[in-house]
Amino acid sequence: MLAFIRRTWLLWPAIGLLLVFFLVPSLDLIQASVMNPDFTLEHFERIADRKVYLAVFWRTLQVSLIVAFLAALVGYPIAYFINLQPRKTQFLLIFLIFIPLWMSVLIRSYAWMIVLGRDGIINTALLGLGLTEEPVRLLFTSGAVYFAMLQILLPVQIVTAYSAMTEIDMDLMRAARVLGARPWQALRRVFIPLSLDGTITGAIIVFMLSMGFFITPALVGGRQDMMLANLIEFQVERLNWSFASALAILLLLGTVLTVIVIRRLGNLITRRIA
Amino acid sequence: MDMQRTGFSRFALSAYFWGVIAFLAFPIFVIIPISFSNSQFLRFPPQDLGIRWYETYFNDAVWVSATILSFKVALLASLVATIVGTMAVISLDRGAARTRQMLTYLITAPIIIPHIFIALGVFILAIRFGFADSEIALAGAHATIAMPFVVLIVGAAMRQMDPTIERAARVLGAGPVRAFFSATFPSLLPAIVAAGVFAFFVSFDELIIAQFMLSGKETLPMRIWADLKLEVSPTVAAVSSLLIVVTTIAMVGAELLRRRAAGVRGD
Repeated sequence: MLAFIRRTWLLWPAIGLLLVFFLVPSLDLIQASVMNPDFTLEHFERIADRKVYLAVFWRTLQVSLIVAFLAALVGYPIAYFINLQPRKTQFLLIFLIFIPLWMSVLIRSYAWMIVLGRDGIINTALLGLGLTEEPVRLLFTSGAVYFAMLQILLPVQIVTAYSAMTEIDMDLMRAARVLGARPWQALRRVFIPLSLDGTITGAIIVFMLSMGFFITPALVGGRQDMMLANLIEFQVERLNWSFASALAILLLLGTVLTVIVIRRLGNLITRRIA
Repeated sequence: MDMQRTGFSRFALSAYFWGVIAFLAFPIFVIIPISFSNSQFLRFPPQDLGIRWYETYFNDAVWVSATILSFKVALLASLVATIVGTMAVISLDRGAARTRQMLTYLITAPIIIPHIFIALGVFILAIRFGFADSEIALAGAHATIAMPFVVLIVGAAMRQMDPTIERAARVLGAGPVRAFFSATFPSLLPAIVAAGVFAFFVSFDELIIAQFMLSGKETLPMRIWADLKLEVSPTVAAVSSLLIVVTTIAMVGAELLRRRAAGVRGD
């Protein structure tokens, strides 16, 4: 017993922190979602019965999937480009990707408000060029949410895809070229299959982060762009903790199940392409 | 012909790269200029330059006390996360590979859980045990979401270390604690400092847990959030500009420190 304590004591503070601020609260949340005050599934039934709650769930899922897909698409050539550079340059370019990542989400959403607002940069330019008579409504739209979320999460995708690409042995590409493959063929047959896995991992991380997004949809989206996290906060403000807990469980389950599906699909595609 | 085509695609790719960088970095080039406008409105490009909104920020008791509160919470949270996380890394490094893998998963789990889930859980617990509105509890919750990053950063540095140095110290007669602090700790220190800086900003930028837990007080993100939802005063531009500069300097410093430490070990 004493030997066990001596061997593991360094770990106990971490376990303690997790227990108090993560594991016990999670259990509390699960309990709150099925109690009123006795065991009941009424909160989950309410989610299933009212179309409006499920609609928010599906929209959250849809926005997150689209943002993850766009991030993978836009980010892939960037990661590829960085990976092509000499090592010293690679560090420098990755820094350029990191700097916006370190800015708080609040600040980056705020920048979008400045750009897209009624008196924002884009509207001022459009009016100045005479392309429009009146300010165009850009802020508080779904498009604004997609653009802002893509911009906020893209660095995560690029960094993940890039670090997977650095593991690829570029001699394989050279070998393919020597054996007579055209540059595009070498890319398509060797590099893309090997780098797809890291790209999908990046997209999964972006998807998971998107699912919990709260600040951006509230600031640059309209009423119709409410996501699950916004709905949960709304319910907490109204002191409906139990119902908010049921929604939080839906959020977590929806995220985990979708990640499993993406992973499976990703493996299938990787095998097909190779 | 072939040469020309690769030359062109190289150029197209690098043009695309700089385009995306501009897309990612544009907040800096929008917010900082606008913060130096004296006007009431967020017009771009700014007219009537001055530092009016910086003065408003530094003279407004609400903004200043929100900043101080965020600073205190983030300092405590990053200290706890860094110390506790580093201890865990050392312990895991000594354990069996399978237990290490499982425990690393457990400790890093809060990274992938949406903050709103953790916020709601902690909030319900806080109400039950009456520690809502406690800054210490908020720092604890922030330490929990920052600890995974510490474990990942310090853990990565630990894996690159040469264990024979510490073993040599033990053979030469140092006790386990002394061997660790004289052999392993010095080369781990840059990663620990980098992790601490990172943890600090995880807490400093966190909104939703603070929003749920505190009712009488406000952190800086809570203050910015309230401001953005109501009126969007240019004070936020001044605060944001300061934050951008401070965060970038601190993070670049931490990252360089981590990189250099990794480089020294023959990366």
